[in-house]
Amino acid sequence: MHERIVGQSPWRVDGIAKVTGKAVFPQDIYLPGMVYGKTVRSKYPHAKITKLDTSKAEALPGVLKVFTARDVPGHNGHGVLHPDIPVFADGKVTSINDAICLVVAETQDIAEEAALLIDVEYEELPAVFDPREAMKETAPKLRENGNIAYHLKIRKGDVEKGFALADVIVEQSFKTSMVDQAFLQPEAGVATVDERGHIVIYVATQYPHWDRTEIARALGVSQNMVRVVTTAVGGAFGGREDMTVQIHACLAAMVLKRPVKIVYDRSESFKAHSKRHPMYMDYRVGATRDGKLVALEATIIGDAGAYLSWSPNILRKAAVHATGPYYIPNVKVDSYAVHTNNPFTGAMRGFGAAQPPMAYEAIMDMLAEKLNLHPFTIRWRNAFERGSETATGQILDMSVGLKETMLEAARRFGWNVEELK
Amino acid sequence: MKKRGIGMASIFYGTGYGNGFPDVSSAVVEIHDDGSATVLTGAADCGQGSNTVLAQIAAEELGIPIEKITLISADTDCTPDAGTTAATRQTYTSGNAVKLAAAKAKKILLDFAAGVLAVNTIDGLDIKDGYVYVKTFPQKRISVAELASHARFKGNRLIGEASFTTHSTMVDPETGQGAPYYPYAFATQIAEVEVDTETGKVEVIRIVAAHDVGRAINKIAVEGQIQGGVAQGVGWALTEEVELKNGQIQNPSFTEYLIPTALDVPEVTPVIVETYEETGPYGAKGVGEPAMLPTMPAILNAIYNAVGVRITELPATPEKILKALKEKEQKNA
Repeated sequence: MHERIVGQSPWRVDGIAKVTGKAVFPQDIYLPGMVYGKTVRSKYPHAKITKLDTSKAEALPGVLKVFTARDVPGHNGHGVLHPDIPVFADGKVTSINDAICLVVAETQDIAEEAALLIDVEYEELPAVFDPREAMKETAPKLRENGNIAYHLKIRKGDVEKGFALADVIVEQSFKTSMVDQAFLQPEAGVATVDERGHIVIYVATQYPHWDRTEIARALGVSQNMVRVVTTAVGGAFGGREDMTVQIHACLAAMVLKRPVKIVYDRSESFKAHSKRHPMYMDYRVGATRDGKLVALEATIIGDAGAYLSWSPNILRKAAVHATGPYYIPNVKVDSYAVHTNNPFTGAMRGFGAAQPPMAYEAIMDMLAEKLNLHPFTIRWRNAFERGSETATGQILDMSVGLKETMLEAARRFGWNVEELK
Repeated sequence: MKKRGIGMASIFYGTGYGNGFPDVSSAVVEIHDDGSATVLTGAADCGQGSNTVLAQIAAEELGIPIEKITLISADTDCTPDAGTTAATRQTYTSGNAVKLAAAKAKKILLDFAAGVLAVNTIDGLDIKDGYVYVKTFPQKRISVAELASHARFKGNRLIGEASFTTHSTMVDPETGQGAPYYPYAFATQIAEVEVDTETGKVEVIRIVAAHDVGRAINKIAVEGQIQGGVAQGVGWALTEEVELKNGQIQNPSFTEYLIPTALDVPEVTPVIVETYEETGPYGAKGVGEPAMLPTMPAILNAIYNAVGVRITELPATPEKILKALKEKEQKNA
């Protein structure tokens, strides 16, 4: 290659600032007159709010204001696909971590003390926590049109004819766990109103321009009046796709005309952002004696939790990647995103393409064992190459280095790849 | 007894938003009087290194050292929308946008240089090491600084703006047929584990992680992504689980929710496979998400290879492995 900088490893442009502690995260920002926000969250997964009394908290010296649903001037909701996550719960909660209100006080300690004085009474509603249960007609309905938020079918070839050609068939169910992005830096932001009267937030985020859209919509102001400045970000992995502190801090700054800082501790961070979808995956895959895959049938059910976030896109990605990187002529996949009263799930590194490998890669080994083939061999014989057709009919008219990755990895384990092909 | 096993896993990963969604990134590049340049991009660097990679791409395209680039990112008042830092898309999508914007700014400079160097077309010109030169007659050259200053004094503005859209086609909701992602990244990882049959504890000994990234713009950054992805995959395979009881998280702290520590992360051998994706900037695709995908299934396959039990529900805790070993024993008895 003739390039001089591409392909090299110059120092990271932010490297020295990071290792010397000079990089500025929102936690590091202190503005004159800054006040602090503390979020109060639901104690029940599904309930009507029958009473919300903020008077004791507001009477505490040092408390400036308690913000609730009635203080949201614009749309009381946010969400990357559909704004269904309430900025503050309005008479009802759908998951245990829903924000009820935000206490703003002169110090963090006062804000936290006042948060304990918020008086909320609930009337519990029937809840559902298993997406397979939530699909049933008898389950509590979390949405008017049912709990199934998304269903994608993939139909290619004829799976029954495909299975008829199979010498071996493996059938197995799998379940992945709900996990957290566990980024190093918990959520934080500082919002202020600048000399122009524009609302400015310094925040660790993944997509400042979308944050601006969400903030402006909730605050009922035009987008040019909102400035989102991305500070140093301590990892994201999808967990900063949905709003957390942004709207709360901007709303409080706009109303109070004081800089407002919100910093979550680890516990609140766990509760506030999306999680990886647990997926229930039922697989059936057939292969011929020589290890060629002939048919795959899969049902994938993802727990979307209480809010939509990226769920349709994630379950779409799961379906598209359900076959693994292998050519299979007959494929039938049904993929569902289903609402429950669990914490909402959303983007996390892999985005729906991360869960199916648990199933398809186990099954490749299970088929190999039945056929007395090496794990390398069965993969090699079915591997995508340039020009291969995927289960969605897409022609891979691009760089396809799958077989090279197989060879490189196998050689480093001392496998005799020429014999195993 | 401690038993060792080896497991393999391969994956593919469709990068970008996909499904026909507008997957666009925009960038602006301005070359200054002294030949240095400013790049504006909306792309948030979440720690993965896009600020460095995009600066490298601009420096390469402009033929100037990376120290001469100031990259401003992710401020909505002054940078154009680059889309979200997700979907393994910033190197590919924003990389393409920055490269195109830099090429436009460069073309204005080269058009001016053509007159100064008395060549009849800019096709024969290029920039390297801070000089514009005639490719077939390299001694004929002029420094970017001198040229930029001269060009600007004559009223030229060396500014390039570009948007790049990643191509994808929506799938049919009834049949799933379509071309939802572009391009795809590929990877294979092989894991070696040691399973203690007395305690059920799994130790991951080593992982070889071979990734088709198209082209590594920054080799150390790619290796870092692979190392981090493997670490996250080890946690997902063995220890991490948000425990819920009636919708309430039972373990919202790192004393109860166990991510791998330095002691739990195995020896990782990252292997960069370069396939030179034609549509990517300098051949690059991406590695962010694919980095973690093969790790979990490779470990589960290695556990099976070691002790003959298949864990079908994550995470593969010692309790689950012991239970499965006991069931296997009873079945064999």
